[in-house]
Amino acid sequence: MASQKSKMICPKCGAEMNHHADKLVDPVTPEDRKHFNYTLGGMIEEMHCCPGCGAVASRKEE
Amino acid sequence: MTNDRPLSIPVILGTTRKGRMSAHAARFIVGQIEKRNRVTSELIDISKLPMPIDDAGEGIKDPAFSEKMAMADALVIVTPEYNHSFPGLLKHILDSCLKEYIHKAAGIVGVSAGPFGGVRAIQDFLPVMRELGLVNIFWDVNFGNVVKVFDESGRLLDQAFMGRVDKFLNELIWMAKTLRYGRDKIALES
Repeated sequence: MASQKSKMICPKCGAEMNHHADKLVDPVTPEDRKHFNYTLGGMIEEMHCCPGCGAVASRKEE
Repeated sequence: MTNDRPLSIPVILGTTRKGRMSAHAARFIVGQIEKRNRVTSELIDISKLPMPIDDAGEGIKDPAFSEKMAMADALVIVTPEYNHSFPGLLKHILDSCLKEYIHKAAGIVGVSAGPFGGVRAIQDFLPVMRELGLVNIFWDVNFGNVVKVFDESGRLLDQAFMGRVDKFLNELIWMAKTLRYGRDKIALES
């Protein structure tokens, strides 16, 4: 369920990051609830890694 | 762009108890990792980390610990066995991060005063590691009867552990390299 197609840019080195995992997490804040996926029963946190410097980043799936 | 930096494998000393023998085990593992080619390590002693207990999870994230976890390719977690499980403060610290761990290798080193080398703590730990996104290897190191394994200065008394740790690190490094390749190069199917 990787529906968000734009590449994340590494906050450290500026390289395009690789989206390598999705994690189903529970919403905590009202803002989180906007991202709730009723089919999956939570919200998806996309996990990205930088092939340049190894940095990691995440974002909520839209 | 390729990621050719050395592998980073920090060792987390997972107890704050005074007189902990696990510290000898953790220092020994750091020393063995540092003998490997293009692999770096450091000891992360949880007793030295800021650890508020009036909040939990990412609410207590320490930026320095987070950065070390983010840049790690694998973790070694050294845990004693307290009442058949791992220390609560170890989980309190680990719970402060998430994205930092995903698809990274992890190996567990159990320590106990009794003969079983922390096997019950390790078994308890496996579902926690899975939920944190860590990928556990199938080799463990079990320092049972630990007062006979290290002397008071931390010198290794039982040389059998050289071979056991060697096998443990062989698999951990293989898994760390493989998972780094995957994180860097293989995109999630969509």
